[in-house]
Amino acid sequence: MGLSLIWYLREFARREWIKKFLFAKTAPLVTPSHFRGFPEPTGKTCQHALFCMMVCPAPGAIEVLHDGDRWMPRIHKGHCIRCGLCVEACPNGVLKSGRILETMGREGTSLLFSFRIAIDLELCTGCGNCCTACPVNKGIDAQMGAGGHSSNDDVIMRVQKGDIVVIHEDKCTGCKTCEVSCPTGAIRIARILEGYQQPVHEGLQ
Amino acid sequence: MNLLQRIKNKVRARSIHVAYVDVGSCNGCDIEVLACLAPRYDIEQYGIYVHNNPREADVLLVIGAYTPGWEEKLGMVWEKIPDPKVAVAIGNCPISGCLFNRRESFVDAPVKKHIPIAAEVPGCPPRPTEILEAILSVRDSVFANWEESHP
Repeated sequence: MGLSLIWYLREFARREWIKKFLFAKTAPLVTPSHFRGFPEPTGKTCQHALFCMMVCPAPGAIEVLHDGDRWMPRIHKGHCIRCGLCVEACPNGVLKSGRILETMGREGTSLLFSFRIAIDLELCTGCGNCCTACPVNKGIDAQMGAGGHSSNDDVIMRVQKGDIVVIHEDKCTGCKTCEVSCPTGAIRIARILEGYQQPVHEGLQ
Repeated sequence: MNLLQRIKNKVRARSIHVAYVDVGSCNGCDIEVLACLAPRYDIEQYGIYVHNNPREADVLLVIGAYTPGWEEKLGMVWEKIPDPKVAVAIGNCPISGCLFNRRESFVDAPVKKHIPIAAEVPGCPPRPTEILEAILSVRDSVFANWEESHP
């Protein structure tokens, strides 16, 4: 039957076949909403934790800039690789991309930053530059002098008897200002990133 | 604009040849360009034919962060393409060098320094839809009224 010319002519004269042949359309070029795009602001307030900049693997892809009266992350296209790590690392949910935030909420995952201060006492001269440069120290004890001495026990670190002493490591925000100000390179800040999953109970969803 | 010119514009915009050149990429964008050829995105439904011969090409897709081996060769490829021609940078690498553009690396990004780039598609890698949109957006403007603008 398939070899018959008449069969072919009848087949191609069918209404559905002609309709499909003339008006067939391929799918339009739409990107599904669950695809990870460039991160966009959700509208929540940026608290300037800068975790997005710390976690970003692409150089120069994200910057937190002061825009009028508030801080706001800015994504640089052409540098951003759309990995979505800034969305995951942000403690305040400022950015969104695809369905990362929904997945994190459903599975109870988060990225936690912690910071360790390592001081090489062989190199440290006890000059106190790191203590005075630290912006957290400045907020806690504005009276801290050039030598890094302080009578306040709440500061991150201070100079005692010519040596640097770290008191509250947990207050460090990982800005590395102390590293830049150290003349001998004795202080090092380690930024530690941990993936964390908290079991989500069925009733809480 | 007379009727002949209008027909020429219409036909030219729907019959373009594309050549792609990889100036040192990680092959991620190459695979996305390849995906444009596959039935899901089907670049040929727009009259775009990927021929990979610069002598016949209208659009050059540049992929990669410009490694030193391409210093003289990319210009040669660009000169071989007959006018009217246009170059489109695909991915982050030809735009900024992205991950490869670090200290003590040998890449010489952006490609804009070496040949004129008409459109840039950011992304690492960009989606096939984005690559298609970029080619479709340049074809109308570049090939329209060529004889009148270049007597």
